[in-house]
Amino acid sequence: MSTEIILKNKEVPEGALPIVNRIKKSGEEVLFVIVGDLNLDGNYDSTALLFTSKRVYTFDGKDRESMCFAYSDMTDVTSKRMYGNATLSAGLPDGARKIFFRYTYGIASLCDAAALFIEHVRNGGDLNEETAIMAVTFEKALSVCPKCGRTLLHPGAECIMCRSKKKIIKKLFVYIRPQVPLLCVCVVLSIMTTFMALVPPAITGFIVDHVFTTSNKSSYRFFDRISELLGGDPGKLLVTMILCLLFTYVLQYGIGIIRSHLMRKAGDKTVYALRNDIYRKVQYLPMRFFDRTSTGSVINRVASDSATLQNFMLRITQEAVVHFFQMIGIIVIMLAMNPLLTLLSLIPIPFIVVFTRFFSIKIRPLYHRIWKRWSSVVSTLSDTIPCIKVVKSFTGEQRTVGRFEKKNDEWLKIDLRLGKIASAFPQIVSFVITCGSLIIWGFGGSKVITGAEGYSAGLIVTFISYASMFYNPVSFFANLSDSFQGALASTEKILDILEAEPETQEENSVDAGKLNGKIEFLHVGFSFDRSKKVLDDVTFTIEPGEVVGIVGTTGSGKSTLINLLMRFYDGYSGEILVDGHNIKNFNLPTYRAQIGYVQQDPMMFSDTIFNNIAFSKPGASVEDVIHAADVANAHGFIARQPDAYDTWLGERGTGVSGGEKQRLSIARAVLMDPSILIFDEATAAVDSETERLIQDAIDKLIEGKTTLMIAHRLSTLRRANRIIVVDNGKIIENGSPAELMAAKGKYYKLVQIQSMTAEAEKIREEERL
Amino acid sequence: MERIYLTSEDRIELFENNLVTVTLADGRTFEELEPRRLFPVNMPEKYITLLDKDGVEQCVIRDTGELNSSSSDIIRKSLNDYYLVPEILRIVNVSDKYGILRWEVDTDRGRKSFDIRNRNHDIRVSADCSIRVRDSDDNRYVISDYRMLDTKSRKLLNTEL
Repeated sequence: MSTEIILKNKEVPEGALPIVNRIKKSGEEVLFVIVGDLNLDGNYDSTALLFTSKRVYTFDGKDRESMCFAYSDMTDVTSKRMYGNATLSAGLPDGARKIFFRYTYGIASLCDAAALFIEHVRNGGDLNEETAIMAVTFEKALSVCPKCGRTLLHPGAECIMCRSKKKIIKKLFVYIRPQVPLLCVCVVLSIMTTFMALVPPAITGFIVDHVFTTSNKSSYRFFDRISELLGGDPGKLLVTMILCLLFTYVLQYGIGIIRSHLMRKAGDKTVYALRNDIYRKVQYLPMRFFDRTSTGSVINRVASDSATLQNFMLRITQEAVVHFFQMIGIIVIMLAMNPLLTLLSLIPIPFIVVFTRFFSIKIRPLYHRIWKRWSSVVSTLSDTIPCIKVVKSFTGEQRTVGRFEKKNDEWLKIDLRLGKIASAFPQIVSFVITCGSLIIWGFGGSKVITGAEGYSAGLIVTFISYASMFYNPVSFFANLSDSFQGALASTEKILDILEAEPETQEENSVDAGKLNGKIEFLHVGFSFDRSKKVLDDVTFTIEPGEVVGIVGTTGSGKSTLINLLMRFYDGYSGEILVDGHNIKNFNLPTYRAQIGYVQQDPMMFSDTIFNNIAFSKPGASVEDVIHAADVANAHGFIARQPDAYDTWLGERGTGVSGGEKQRLSIARAVLMDPSILIFDEATAAVDSETERLIQDAIDKLIEGKTTLMIAHRLSTLRRANRIIVVDNGKIIENGSPAELMAAKGKYYKLVQIQSMTAEAEKIREEERL
Repeated sequence: MERIYLTSEDRIELFENNLVTVTLADGRTFEELEPRRLFPVNMPEKYITLLDKDGVEQCVIRDTGELNSSSSDIIRKSLNDYYLVPEILRIVNVSDKYGILRWEVDTDRGRKSFDIRNRNHDIRVSADCSIRVRDSDDNRYVISDYRMLDTKSRKLLNTEL
């Protein structure tokens, strides 16, 4: 029985297989299956939606009849997201709207696409093409790894566990490679210090046996030679041994200093290169990446994930080596000295392993809880201090104090309670190790008393020292898997950046050069997630030098027009031409250099005013910058600042007002002297006087340049010689202001509304006077 | 415009699926309204807004208990369709791999396992001992009182509180 269906998001539930067979028998082919997780009652169940070329079949759990709808019978197929669940519904011939599939958000993106699939096929879309689009959606919708079931970083990402480890190591090894010679030196030094560390217990053992007591033969021939040379004088022997110890210590710690210095150098250089690369890569990532990934997460990846990864790489290359050699060294020496006692002193090791595992598993959640309380204390801080003006103006001081004290109190309670356990654990582990020495004391001691062959007080002292040295390597290896997990998570996040596709750059791209500024949109369509078209078949032409106002409600698609023109997003259908060239063929930096973009909320870097303006044209002369500021009506207020052009703007440009910032960002645009200017709600957030200054600046700036202005306030558009009205992703009106007023369409309505409010304001103002 | 608060005098009938038709005592009717909670977390049965096709509020219910019984039944059913917040009755298993928590739970809607990406933001404990959980797909779950869970569930939960 072949029920193989290639395109599915999960295994098709068994109950649905009869339906698959029935479909096959009727001569149709199942194109794809969406396996769902809710039945129509909203209970968890394995359900399915089976799509053929003409029909969709439902499977809503084994107790229900399967339903079947022909695409041709369905109208207005919609996927509706509710709260925690979503539905697919369609209008049926009897006029009712039927919900035929219910699901949680986990597969919502698939169902969104399926709704479009039915709509497109119903309206005569190409079946193969639509199926291919579904195939891509299936691939992108995978939020868990199909092989191991692990949740992916984001839907469609590659699973770090199931990737070839070799490739990952190869990717990361690039950063370690330059440091390999240094690391090799470090390893050699590490081994040296490790062996140095093994010497002192042997010497102390000798001192106990042959300096304090005068038995004849020691277990080390080397020490016997020294003893002979010194004529067996215990005083001299003691001094010699102490000198030996001193020498070993000097060597051990001396090498240690060099080693940790070199280690740090290698580690710093690795993380330096890694961080640089991640940051560089981030700058060139397309806007889509930033839509998907929060800026906080990106910052974290550059700042802390790289460090986590570096730590791990160093642990593997360095500490693992050291600990391994130390463990081997200790066992070899101990075995050579006394095999039986070695085995006895190894008894606590399994306990230590179990204990450290237990310890790290138990203790981590405790620390986590303390940390969680602590971060809620901190968040109260960072919530209220920046809002201090609000707190004071509504006399909320006492309330915020109360809130803070409550949080702090919760922290204290949990910290005191858990602190007890948290501090007990390491002590218990040490206790177990110490107990190991009791075995050596007991067993070895009794042998020494009875004068058994090969046992001496010195031997026991040596053994106890060695046994305590065993703990570090053991706990290191016992906890290695944790740091491995942490490193893997960091690696995943870092590779997500390093391997992301940067903004596409066609080969044979041409320099944009100086553009005339003719803009053509030809049947441009765009959607972020396929579920809703943000732009739908947009076509218009803007001649060089025209000033065009783009009008529309929020969410109508105005800003998307600009985003596409700026090439922030490339995945649109249709073509956008500038000066007759497809903008995708332009070399991206040279193209963007021709567009001056003034945003609604101008962002300032924390740098001087001069550098903030000059950001648009590196290496601009002082006079150019001053001139640009002058054109932007900014020179006046800058000159009035005590530090003038050297005024340092804080984060997000504190220190200057919103309108002043806006003029600085216009100065930026002036300085770069672009061929195309875009104002995205540039005067939305300023008062009328500032708006006049900004308008004045804009008027000077747009001379002879193709200008696009997005505006809510129609007064901003008085210079426009053409208005484009966008609604629901479509252009509904396009013409000169006079034409549109005559047409009495949407633009006319907007003007009516706004002039009414303006008049009302005027009247109010007059009354006040 | 004055906000219309519905009373027991007004009639609510099912329109289609989760949509309702409201007939006011004075005879005015609104069709195809979608009941939505204004406080889905803190007051699920109070302050229900009724939005028309364009998402514009037409009327508000202060408390579903203030309506006549047939109306409140319809509203509750509609809300239950719209808001799917399974109640977690038992936690079967919690595992933590690479910083992502995976919970397997028994809910009033059946068994489900899901991932929690950010345990700090996605598990919220309220003062009344209820817990709201958000999974990696943005589905919501609720534990109405964690003290009422069985010992094993509480133990599994404990590490996350």
